[in-house]
Amino acid sequence: MSVPVIMPRQGQSVESCIISNWFFQKGDRVKKGDILFSYETDKAAFEVEAEADGLLLERYYNEGDEVPVLSTVAMIGEEGDEVEEAGAKRRSRYSGIEKVEMLKSGNVEKWRSDGVTGETIFVSPRARKAAERLGITLEGITGTGPGGRIIEKDVQEAAGKQSLPTPLAREIALEENRKMPAAGSGAGGRVTSFDVLAPAGGPAEEAEIRKVSNIRRIIAQKMHESLMNSAQLTHHTSADARRLLELRKKAKALYEKSGIVDITINDLVCYAVIRAVKKHPMANSHFLGDTVRLFRKVHLGLAVDTERGLMVPVVKNADDLSIKELAMQIKEVAASCKKGNISPELLSSEAASFSVSNLGAYGVEMFTPVINLPQVAILGVDAIINRPADLGNGVLGFCPHIGLSLTYDHRALDGAPASALLRDIRLEIERLEVNI
Amino acid sequence: MYDLGIIGGGPAGYVAAERAGQKGLKVVLFDKKKLGGVCLNEGCIPTKTLLYTAKLYDNAREGGKYGIDCSGVTYDFAKVMQRKDKVVTRLVAGVAAAMKKHAVEVVNAHATIDRQAADHISLQAGNQLFECRNILLATGSEAMIPPVKGLVREEILTNREILKISQVPGSLAIIGGGVVGMEFASIFNSLGSRVTVIEMMGEILGTTDVELSAMLRQEYTKKGIVFHLGSRVTEIRGREIIFEKEGQELRVTSDQILVSVGRKPVLEGFGLEKLGVEVARGGVKIDEHCRTNIPNVYAAGDITGFSLLAHTASREGEVAVNHVCGIPDRMRYNAIPSVVYTNPEIASVGLTEEEARNKGIPVKVRTLPMAYAGRFVAENEGKNGFAKVVVGDKYNEILGVHLIGNPSSELIYGAAIMIEMQMRIQDAREIVFPHPTVSEILKETLFTFNE
Repeated sequence: MSVPVIMPRQGQSVESCIISNWFFQKGDRVKKGDILFSYETDKAAFEVEAEADGLLLERYYNEGDEVPVLSTVAMIGEEGDEVEEAGAKRRSRYSGIEKVEMLKSGNVEKWRSDGVTGETIFVSPRARKAAERLGITLEGITGTGPGGRIIEKDVQEAAGKQSLPTPLAREIALEENRKMPAAGSGAGGRVTSFDVLAPAGGPAEEAEIRKVSNIRRIIAQKMHESLMNSAQLTHHTSADARRLLELRKKAKALYEKSGIVDITINDLVCYAVIRAVKKHPMANSHFLGDTVRLFRKVHLGLAVDTERGLMVPVVKNADDLSIKELAMQIKEVAASCKKGNISPELLSSEAASFSVSNLGAYGVEMFTPVINLPQVAILGVDAIINRPADLGNGVLGFCPHIGLSLTYDHRALDGAPASALLRDIRLEIERLEVNI
Repeated sequence: MYDLGIIGGGPAGYVAAERAGQKGLKVVLFDKKKLGGVCLNEGCIPTKTLLYTAKLYDNAREGGKYGIDCSGVTYDFAKVMQRKDKVVTRLVAGVAAAMKKHAVEVVNAHATIDRQAADHISLQAGNQLFECRNILLATGSEAMIPPVKGLVREEILTNREILKISQVPGSLAIIGGGVVGMEFASIFNSLGSRVTVIEMMGEILGTTDVELSAMLRQEYTKKGIVFHLGSRVTEIRGREIIFEKEGQELRVTSDQILVSVGRKPVLEGFGLEKLGVEVARGGVKIDEHCRTNIPNVYAAGDITGFSLLAHTASREGEVAVNHVCGIPDRMRYNAIPSVVYTNPEIASVGLTEEEARNKGIPVKVRTLPMAYAGRFVAENEGKNGFAKVVVGDKYNEILGVHLIGNPSSELIYGAAIMIEMQMRIQDAREIVFPHPTVSEILKETLFTFNE
């Protein structure tokens, strides 16, 4: 009995996903739990595991294919099991998009093993035929079709500019997996070995043109929209960090002894922030123009840096959590983001009521974080540095302070309440009471 | 307002002027001397005229080898020099005609940079100002005179003066065994002078492949030229040159002394300093489009202080003009041929074995005697020569071709195309060479590389 492998549904808004990598070939033996393929939505990347042992009898979609959710992607079974042939199933509304492995198809393995060069290009069949007819390579052509796909017009335009590589340039590009630039520095604009071997920004090519990833595009759009559509500004202050450091020291010692959960400075700050935000409902809200959505719970968004770009997963009902639970959940969502299997539901800016972005580890002393609309504020957490302080009894000295940068949307919140929130965050941090 | 003002009418300047005129630019070309520069008036062309005479004379005297009795053959040096002048005059007139044809305004006066304005640079020549949107600096180079004790400029010869002498010197000492020195050595050796070449380096001909240089030196040693390598001139006393060789002091006395130790760019006397043009390693610094650091100021030819070849200069001039016109083009220096017009000729293009080694480029090298080309054997009785091909070790791309034997100068461009087009051995092997020609030696050498 063969078992179908289904493209999972990721959230209600996701209609289709793109297969990024296949890890098994047709005919390979797979074990339950093996990662069969990875795929991505416009927000995140995921992996699909085999749910049964057996042979990968058929793969209905290739890398780069856009697959409607809940479609059968592949079949796992035993020899002799009957399955529909590939092609029969491949009739989604996206079948007009073809994927082209760059340079040569015989090199698929190499490309796949290298995430950087394993870039795929989408090209319409008409464009591909035109490219064949005109004898030009699709690499380096910027697509102007939907989703950046290369269409016939792009090929025709490129044909006017693109020049043939010298035999040596072609051989080196193939042999050393180099990118073939569209224009070269040789006689009549020929692409020479110097162009192929030139580092990006070298003399032959002034810069490397790289396609913007889906996630980057989303980030770009969100960030730009935030700055365009709100009235945001940032207040800065700093909190005495002695209490934080003391708690951290205690937590660290305990963790090293028991290994249960490592509570970091950031976890402690978040814990304090949640307490403070709870007292300022206007800051724990979404500003929707005519209405304001005031949350009863604190859903804390956390800016996480991943290889793919910035993600802001949410810890739901964060105000219900103990410091240990909070620390664990923060670690969990951050790890899921980095692995790429976070649920899109948790990445939506609508899911969080307030966000925190911590750049302290980079030594940033002050910054202006950008709000994830429709949230009304975000706290930037900065590095801990020694600042002059009044130590009492007329003694002035230095004590560690953690910088705090609160960006708020002035449409929703005025300066005084925002400052009050920032003050309360500072006080919560300075007077933090938790059971480690 | 002119689109392009060019200072210097040599192979950089006049070729640029011609190309720019062809493209419809309004061009003004300044040169206080005759058009054609050093190349036409006191370099390439007059020397080639004399070298041909020398070769003809050599051949006549060796006629017996080919079954022709030319005993008693003589030459008339006055007529030789007259013919040289005639050739030069004719070619200079040709340049003037080309300027006229392409509507280039030629100003026969010394031009200086007056000032840089927002949208132009004004040049002054005579009492007139010329406003130019772009200018091309092509002032060329002049012979370098080393600071040697006792050297009196008026008493020694450079390439300029030696082309005006009225009789063949009984003896000629040449300081500097580079291309210029060796070509004059070749001429006067053939015409009967006792020639001595004093070279500071361990071998003649500078960066030329050492195997080729050594063979040429041996050929000329057989013909009677005395070479002093690794020799440093310490003093000149009248007609006597005192030099140091391997710790010993040696002396050579000769009727004439030719100094040919190199050339230096002409950077002074035309107001270059007013523009703030960057000078590096003795020459005006240019980028791959022949732009200087100052917008709309280009430079081409010997003024840049490197390559120092007429054909490099012309190509640079073309690149500059193309850039002015917005035509994509750039200077490439890896396939510029160079020729020594001695007898036998040396011609090379691309990397030598030694350069590859110094740059850490892994290469394979094959050499083949010229005798493998039937035509060479037919025409060069008792002569030697060889071809040397340098290819990349991994991809077999042709990186350098070095030839000694006549007429290497006429076939080296084929090798230049191979390098320019980045042909690999297998690509070049598909080219059909005419048979029988000396050029076939190139093909034969390519086939000596293993499959």
